[in-house]
Amino acid sequence: MNNNAAKAGSGATQAGRPARLSLADWMPKIVMAPTAVAAIVCIYGYMIWTAVLSFTNSRMLPSYNFVGFDQYERLFMNDRWLVALSNLGVFGGLFILICLFLGVMLAIFLDQKIRAEGAIRTIYLYPMAISFIVTGTAWKWLLNPTNGIEKMMIELGFEDFRFNWLSDPDMVVYCLVIAAVWQASGFVMALFLAGLRGVDSEMIKAAQLDGAGIITTYRRIILPSLKPVFFSALVILSHIAIKSFDLVAALTNGGPGYSSDLPANFMYAHAFTRSQIGLGAASAMVMLGCVLAILVPYLYSELRGERHE
Amino acid sequence: MASLTIDNVKKRYGQTEILKGINISIEAGEFLILVGPSGCGKSTLMNSIAGLEDVSEGRILIGDNDVTYASPKDRDIAMVFQSYALYPNMTVAENISFGLEMRKVPKEERDAEVQRVADMLQIGHLLKRKPAQLSGGQRQRVAMGRALARRPKMYLFDEPLSNLDAKLRVEMRTEIKKLHQKLGTTIVYVTHDQIEAMTLADRIAVMKDGEVQQLGTPQEIYDNPTNLFVAGFMGSPAMNFVPAKVVEQNGTYALELQASKPTVVPFPKPDSLKAYAGKEILLGLRPEMITEPQPHKEGAEFVVTADIDVEVTEPMGADTMVLTRISEAEVNCRCNPAYPVKANETVAMMFDTSKAVAFDKDSGQRIDN
Repeated sequence: MNNNAAKAGSGATQAGRPARLSLADWMPKIVMAPTAVAAIVCIYGYMIWTAVLSFTNSRMLPSYNFVGFDQYERLFMNDRWLVALSNLGVFGGLFILICLFLGVMLAIFLDQKIRAEGAIRTIYLYPMAISFIVTGTAWKWLLNPTNGIEKMMIELGFEDFRFNWLSDPDMVVYCLVIAAVWQASGFVMALFLAGLRGVDSEMIKAAQLDGAGIITTYRRIILPSLKPVFFSALVILSHIAIKSFDLVAALTNGGPGYSSDLPANFMYAHAFTRSQIGLGAASAMVMLGCVLAILVPYLYSELRGERHE
Repeated sequence: MASLTIDNVKKRYGQTEILKGINISIEAGEFLILVGPSGCGKSTLMNSIAGLEDVSEGRILIGDNDVTYASPKDRDIAMVFQSYALYPNMTVAENISFGLEMRKVPKEERDAEVQRVADMLQIGHLLKRKPAQLSGGQRQRVAMGRALARRPKMYLFDEPLSNLDAKLRVEMRTEIKKLHQKLGTTIVYVTHDQIEAMTLADRIAVMKDGEVQQLGTPQEIYDNPTNLFVAGFMGSPAMNFVPAKVVEQNGTYALELQASKPTVVPFPKPDSLKAYAGKEILLGLRPEMITEPQPHKEGAEFVVTADIDVEVTEPMGADTMVLTRISEAEVNCRCNPAYPVKANETVAMMFDTSKAVAFDKDSGQRIDN
């Protein structure tokens, strides 16, 4: 397309059109300019500024007294950061695995030409339309031992029923997983359902004639052909996991203590409430590193894929 | 190898009847082609034979086994699909051996079978590639290889050549015919291309609106179509249908056409026209039966020379197609390119009605059978 446009342009000049550009030629650039400026300044500009600050001893206000990697050293000596990182490992790993598993299963079940598929699809997809704050608040009530699921079960007569993960420092991170899975697995289902709909129906017939049962057909033929969907889902889920902030803020507020902190909450607490801008910036850069570690291979394979086509 | 019997098969979706009682039976080793326009039910019938769709009524027998309610994998058939339906995540070798693996054939036997099939189809060098790395023709071969590997009783081909370009299609057509001669297996082949049907088939079933219009050898169908639809569908360019008046002449019946001037042509079975005396019928005459005057045919029994008004000429190299108008109908004639014909001139043409057929104008059925 770009080539065509270039050819058309040079053709026009050769045809003797005046070299002065008309308003129509400028219009796209004018329209795009504010967005471009905003993106460059507000995204990349501040990203660079954060990187710069992470190498300074800034506390409540930014200072430009460079201290090398001191902030990073302090960061990895900080117990609260290490808890946040290990929480991210547990939360991210479980969240992604369970979401993928549930999403794939829901998609496969929905793909069996069932009745009222549209309605069911909407119900499963709906949590995605809610913000994590709402999800967190709703699950906070549900998981609260004194007035949530535990109370309901006890009132139903199960006197010994205990479900107090929300107040247990060792288990609270799994509460985050439950709420996040509830929110995101419908989205994964939608991704896979779209992928399943794109599978050539003749291929499934061929597998049937080859003697493959329905489970083998999914396991050996259909799901492997959805590898790109797996990849997209993985990237989307992992960046949701890394940038999770609002869910923790609404569901546990990092507690009990700081046992359910995620890196984003750590960053917010230090940069904005504890006057540790340098340390907060360093943690933000580590998070950026995590996201890039996932995105760069993805973009690389996507762009290379395009060249292949 | 097995014979195939389709006994009064009907298929309904709700109120709509897709197959309205199909009866076809072929011998073991025969090449049957189901041909017809889209929506005629040929693919539904094929899927019913494969077991991919249930039939509402009737029976399907492969050999002596009633497979009407058997699942696809128990029918011992293999199918080649229009989209090839190769498994994209598997290599060519894995694609070919997948069916064997599902039938728990040991690894060594599978490998030997893949090698045999690859040699037969000359795809040995492609075995390690994925389908996405193959050209259309290569995918077609792999799809056939996958069908061959299981050595089933019967092969089903569902429009296998329609995704190939014209040149490759002709090559693969020949290849399929050679393969059939070499293997001698029963093949059922669906196509909407009448040339494929003519060139490949031992028997053709021409279908329309869920019914078999005619079942016969290619030559029978070409020479003796049972109705207007079959006559018009098979052959390219299509058979000419000329309105003609049945006239009595010298105690027999003949047909009067309005060429450049009114012309009377004889008919091979004049008695069948008796009931239509004085009425109009449709005369079916293949383009190759209207030619330039050929001296060796002069004076033969069913040959008449008459003038026609040329509308358009279409030189095709080997022949020149001449388009004219006879009794208000467009008529194609096939001439030797050496015969000087120009548009908007009147030239003499030789009508050979020895193979002409006659149809009832209203019902479209043959009258001279």
